[in-house]
Amino acid sequence: VSAARAKRRVVQAWVEPASDDPEAVSATMVARAHLPAARGVAALRRVRVFELDGALPDEAGIAALLHRSTQFYNPHKERCHVRGSAGEPPPLRFDEHAVLVWERDGERRPAAERWWTHETGRSIVVREGVAWAVRFDPGADARAGLDGLVVLRDRRHGLLCNPHAQEFRVGDGDVPLPWFPPSRATRATRRRTES
Amino acid sequence: MSTARVAIVQFPGVNCEAESARALARVGLAPEVFRWTRPASELRDFEAYVVPGGFSYQDRVRAGALASKDPLLDVLADAAERGKPVLGICNGAQVLVEAGLVPGGGTVELALARNRMPGRAGYHARWVYARVEASPCVFTRALPKGVLLPLPVAHGEGRFTSAEPGRIAALLRAGQAPLRYARADGTLARRFPENPNGADADIAGLCNARGNVLAIMPHPERAQDLGAMCRSIDGGWGERRDRALEGMNDPGEGPYDAGPGLAFFEGLRRHLRES
Repeated sequence: VSAARAKRRVVQAWVEPASDDPEAVSATMVARAHLPAARGVAALRRVRVFELDGALPDEAGIAALLHRSTQFYNPHKERCHVRGSAGEPPPLRFDEHAVLVWERDGERRPAAERWWTHETGRSIVVREGVAWAVRFDPGADARAGLDGLVVLRDRRHGLLCNPHAQEFRVGDGDVPLPWFPPSRATRATRRRTES
Repeated sequence: MSTARVAIVQFPGVNCEAESARALARVGLAPEVFRWTRPASELRDFEAYVVPGGFSYQDRVRAGALASKDPLLDVLADAAERGKPVLGICNGAQVLVEAGLVPGGGTVELALARNRMPGRAGYHARWVYARVEASPCVFTRALPKGVLLPLPVAHGEGRFTSAEPGRIAALLRAGQAPLRYARADGTLARRFPENPNGADADIAGLCNARGNVLAIMPHPERAQDLGAMCRSIDGGWGERRDRALEGMNDPGEGPYDAGPGLAFFEGLRRHLRES
């Protein structure tokens, strides 16, 4: 067993705009105005979620590396929270439901992976999706609201995920870590980086 | 006979309304830019509709996703149901697909997904050849099957795809793919860069079963002038472009004469005149 394999783990980086996010504001307004089942949506937050999978340094080291490259985020406009284990809470409010949406077979970030290898000499897998943190009005049926908000079916139903090109996973209760299911391509890369 | 009024439906972030209006006017139609701030009910009075290219609502959430929820789309869906022609170009195509107007019926059956290109990602712009296929599409049915139209594409999310097994094949069988990416010799593109986004079955445009609603990723309004065509285009259209540019001051063919993109707008005019 190589040293890299022994230390392999998955961490999440949650990247959120530092100021009001027009994309989240627009999505909230459209959901409330035009999706009958999602009228109880009080607010949406859009958080980009990276999962780094490989032999990684400690959380401070990861945060320092992420801070240095716009492959991950712009520290002048966004803030980043590194979540190192499933036992750590994600940066969500107690009343927020989180939904991860990603492009089917398009969640990998090859340029970010190349940058990481260039900086550290180690190969990792980087995946990116968008976590929508959804808060509902008091008394609203959150499950029905999520059903009406997430999967696009027609003009009156769904917004956040077009199932013909995207995948989603609801983080009910605890947000899992890893959150992305391993894709075939990711598993193949992991085997290469561990060998 | 009065001139048919065509609404160019403009959402915030759309940026191809002027050239779309010019193309419609050139073929003898009466275009009117219809902004999203007007009452939706006023949109009913038009005889045809163009949803032009651009970045509606900054592509927030997903290209076309927010505009597809706008009440104006309810009017377009109703008009489409009654047989009025609707043309969605690039971002307009994304809006129509996200709204379920293409391939039709109101249920979303497709996506215009992020481009899939070897060794690169994101936005991609180039000139491509689109091959006309046999189809009931009112915008292309007067064109001979197999004819090649050189057209520009410029998008980051233009890959026609469906998660439903067999859906794309069924659309091809039904003649609902009037435009497919091709090589200069007329064979199907099969790969990048001739297929610029990885679209399933090289699909560049899809229409509804009736043929009156068309969603296309290439920009015909940007190919309405011979002189605007890219130097990489050869064949008959390339020769005409060269003659037009060489003889700019001659009374014959000039750089502002009809380019290949005008065929879609001619098709619309012909359909409106006949119907």
